[in-house]
Amino acid sequence: MRPHKPLTPYLFAAPALLVFAFAVLAPVLATGAFSLTEWSGFGPMTFTGLGNYVRALGDDVFVGSFLHVTLYIVVTIVLEVAFGLVLAGVLAARRGGSPWFRVALFTPVMLPMVVVAVLWSFVYNGDFGLVNASLSAIGLDGLTRVWLGDPATALLAVCVVSGWVYAGFYMAIFYAALTQIPPEVIEAARLDGAGEARIFARVKVPMIRNAVEVCLLLCVTGGFQTFDLFYVLTGGGPYNATEIPTTYLTRVVFRDGEVGYGSAMAVLMTAVVVLVGIVFMRLRRGRGAEA
Amino acid sequence: MRRVPRVLVTVAFTALSVAFFVPMIWMVLSSFKTNAEIFAGPFSLPTGLEFGRWAEAWQMGGIGGYALNSLLVTALSVLLILVVGSAAAFAFSRYVFRGRGALMGLLGLGLLLPIQSYFIAQSRMFTELGLGDTRWALIVPYTAMGLPLAVYLLKVYLDALPAELFEAARVDGAGDLRIYLQIAVPLLKPGIATVAVFSALSCWNEFLLALLYIQDDGLKTIPAGLLAFSSRYVTDYGLLFSALSIITLPMIVIYLVFNRQVVAGITAGSLK
Repeated sequence: MRPHKPLTPYLFAAPALLVFAFAVLAPVLATGAFSLTEWSGFGPMTFTGLGNYVRALGDDVFVGSFLHVTLYIVVTIVLEVAFGLVLAGVLAARRGGSPWFRVALFTPVMLPMVVVAVLWSFVYNGDFGLVNASLSAIGLDGLTRVWLGDPATALLAVCVVSGWVYAGFYMAIFYAALTQIPPEVIEAARLDGAGEARIFARVKVPMIRNAVEVCLLLCVTGGFQTFDLFYVLTGGGPYNATEIPTTYLTRVVFRDGEVGYGSAMAVLMTAVVVLVGIVFMRLRRGRGAEA
Repeated sequence: MRRVPRVLVTVAFTALSVAFFVPMIWMVLSSFKTNAEIFAGPFSLPTGLEFGRWAEAWQMGGIGGYALNSLLVTALSVLLILVVGSAAAFAFSRYVFRGRGALMGLLGLGLLLPIQSYFIAQSRMFTELGLGDTRWALIVPYTAMGLPLAVYLLKVYLDALPAELFEAARVDGAGDLRIYLQIAVPLLKPGIATVAVFSALSCWNEFLLALLYIQDDGLKTIPAGLLAFSSRYVTDYGLLFSALSIITLPMIVIYLVFNRQVVAGITAGSLK
């Protein structure tokens, strides 16, 4: 449509663009500039070129934080995406069943992550927590421990909470996709004598490949940006065992006052997230997948 | 055919759902207990349903104040996202103009960029501008963060409307603003509802910026407020469980009533 007055479209789009440019784009550029300096947030800035980047790549805690988040992502892909897919498969195979299972398992998704984290810090509590109490109740006293305070179990304990929240979320997406599959396709496979598990793996999952890929992308890029759960449950501890890029750089900037160094880490983290997103989209486009 | 019996599936899923809710059931039960009772037996039932601790958490603990702040910040942010976002979506969807693709691409960056790419400089900027420790320090970034997805989704809805509708209004002599207000907005209602659901939830639940930008306890929203609360009453577990219950239960009730809209809103909001 041609605008009544030539300026009209710009006037309609301007407020959104201005707010976005002011609160997001300008700070993105400024963060990039900060990353090339040594600066405490106050007083003079010293230009240090790529010094902060060199430092970050040699910082064991920072490099370790990427390992931790990668491990977290791998485990959550199993606990959230794979488990959600199986749940959706079972529920979708018996059409007409109660929708309440889906409603129930989706519940934690809408709660604030901080609330979930505080609740689970009690579930894992060494003195009165549900996990230890359950283990004692079935005679496995030997297994009780301070789950979040033990470097051997802390990261896995955080992954479990994440799984508790998001398994239902991915299940809802997969369920919606599975119910779109025409029944004739499944009927045909069944007539060929394929069992339910085989139909699921060979017919249904390939047919919802698109949803599976999008969920994997969400799990990976979302995983990199996780903050609330780690910050509240472990704060990166014990002994940096659960330090991830977001918690580490937040601490470096806002507690240690190293704005320049933290900005460089933020730029590196952003590069990874954006790169994963772009590579993923390229791969899909290359195969000619529909969005 | 080796089909798993229906009953077995139902039983398994019922067990799973119950197990899923155990932490929340335990939370509510514990909110009625004293510290001694909590330590004595996590599975024991409370001696009575005493709501005194809930009232204490709400009033003296300040949960009520946090809830009010969350409500104000969320309502204003969502309103801004909807008004500003629908106007931009209208421009991008219905008009052809110079720079349209580039401007849309710029806004599209917001779908990819993590908070970490801008929050360091943003916090410095807000402090310089005197926005630090005000509600605007949350409302402005929440609006900016919500806009890219809102514009994108609303544009998808608008693109699906027939062009003749708008041409006819133009022939009848309606101006641009009138076409937007009287044709586009009413037809956009389902899209606006979806955007409102996921924008509201993400503002309500946002924690990182709320933690860093707001120091004044009187301005804290629920996530950051709950954390302050839990460090204020570190070992008063009964009170902490009460606070958690007060925050969680209303959200669960709202969710159960509007579960279809909430699920649709959240999944649409994350699938982009």
